Amino acid sequence: MLMSIRNVKKNFHHTQVLKDVSLNVKKGDVVAIIGPSGSGKTTFLRCLSFLEQADGGEMDFNGRTLSLASASKKEIAAVRKQTAFVFQNYNLFANKTALENVTVGLVSGHGMARDKAKKVALAALQKVGMADRADYYPAHLSGGQQQRVAIARAIAASPDVILFDEPTSALDPELVSEVLQVMKELAQEGTTMIVVTHEMKFAREAATHVVFMADGVVVEEGRAEEIFTAPKEERTRRFLQYILPEEYAAAVLI
Amino acid sequence: MRLDFEFMQETFLLVWSGAGTTLSLTALVLLVSIPLGFYLAAVRLHSGLIISSAVRGYVSFVRGTPIILQILLVYSLLPSLLNAAAQAAGLSVNIFDLIEPFWYAAVVFTLNTTALLTEVFRSSLTAIPKGQLEAGLTCGMSAFKTYLHIIVPQALAVALPGLCNATVNLVKGTSLAFLMTVKDIMAVGKIAASYGYNYLEAYLDVFLVYLILCTIIQLGYAVLEARLSTFRAKL
Repeated sequence: MLMSIRNVKKNFHHTQVLKDVSLNVKKGDVVAIIGPSGSGKTTFLRCLSFLEQADGGEMDFNGRTLSLASASKKEIAAVRKQTAFVFQNYNLFANKTALENVTVGLVSGHGMARDKAKKVALAALQKVGMADRADYYPAHLSGGQQQRVAIARAIAASPDVILFDEPTSALDPELVSEVLQVMKELAQEGTTMIVVTHEMKFAREAATHVVFMADGVVVEEGRAEEIFTAPKEERTRRFLQYILPEEYAAAVLI
Repeated sequence: MRLDFEFMQETFLLVWSGAGTTLSLTALVLLVSIPLGFYLAAVRLHSGLIISSAVRGYVSFVRGTPIILQILLVYSLLPSLLNAAAQAAGLSVNIFDLIEPFWYAAVVFTLNTTALLTEVFRSSLTAIPKGQLEAGLTCGMSAFKTYLHIIVPQALAVALPGLCNATVNLVKGTSLAFLMTVKDIMAVGKIAASYGYNYLEAYLDVFLVYLILCTIIQLGYAVLEARLSTFRAKL
């Protein structure tokens, strides 16, 4: 098991956002976390990168066990170097070009030599089809292009797992597919990914494992086909009916 | 009433000899105030209640008192205090001879400008989205490195208009240094005028010199802003 996350709890003020969430991720898994807004999916993902401090929970990762509530600065830094995060609103460094967006983390975060970082970064941009925009600033790129650069930035350091937080939710509809295409390619190459998403088609086609969350708990999880064709829980069924009305119309009639 | 143009011409050139003092005072103050102001702004935003209240108190004290009062206070208090301290330490130096008034002026204007810049930088730092820091952290950079490479350069671009304002105010404000017998532009003009009571001519000269200096500074900032803002979308 590459990553084993147990009993994550998180409160915001008096609201329990995560009640007791656990998740196991094997190397090469593509885990899609789906569920209604406010179910805690994003908070869960952010806790894994310590962008939110959980109130409780443990994580085994790369052979070490650490507390999500009280990890030391050193432990946090180590986890962040072995993972990568893709944000909903891209969060590209506004004052850096596409190329520099990738190199700055490699050089100042991972201590890579400048020349090597540039080569690695260009290869990563090539992979997401953005090499010809290497010298553009984020403000001069479309949303889809920015997100592809953000994915290049994420894969460049060869992390053990990439966390995606609704990577297509902020995009105009016509730009969604270019980002999903890149993610599918990564999935096919065996990149370990945890993806919080509303793209059911992507979850169904690319995910090896689907987790349905609602109200701060994991309601149901399993292989993508199981969840989408034969959900066991009523709550899952209602959600899928609501979000994929055409495909579930038949099921409702029966 | 007639203006003595010959006197005006001579004095105009003479007054420029004070520009060196004015500009070196300004440069020295900015050199200390810009990093210090940035630091205090970051402290004010990220530290606990006590430290951030202390910074707030300092800013509010400086903003709430006239600069002329700060000058008079420092100039009548600081030399005596330093002298007393030197004597208590058994040093046989005369502080009044040792330290030029220029340095007291530097202290007052640094305290003043730092407070103003703390506010300028605080507002520019809050203008940078939190996601920039989060992205830096998840890329494996420390918070310090993210500030260094990502947040400070962006905040600086946002702060430039405020920084230009503070610089121009500082150049003009240092004219009050003549109260401490610092021979800046203003002091040179006043002294020249006092020989033959050509105050009007001398003041017009001083007026022109400040106008020219401040125009050059503003042009300089405009160029800098254009360079530092290349990453922004053109409107």
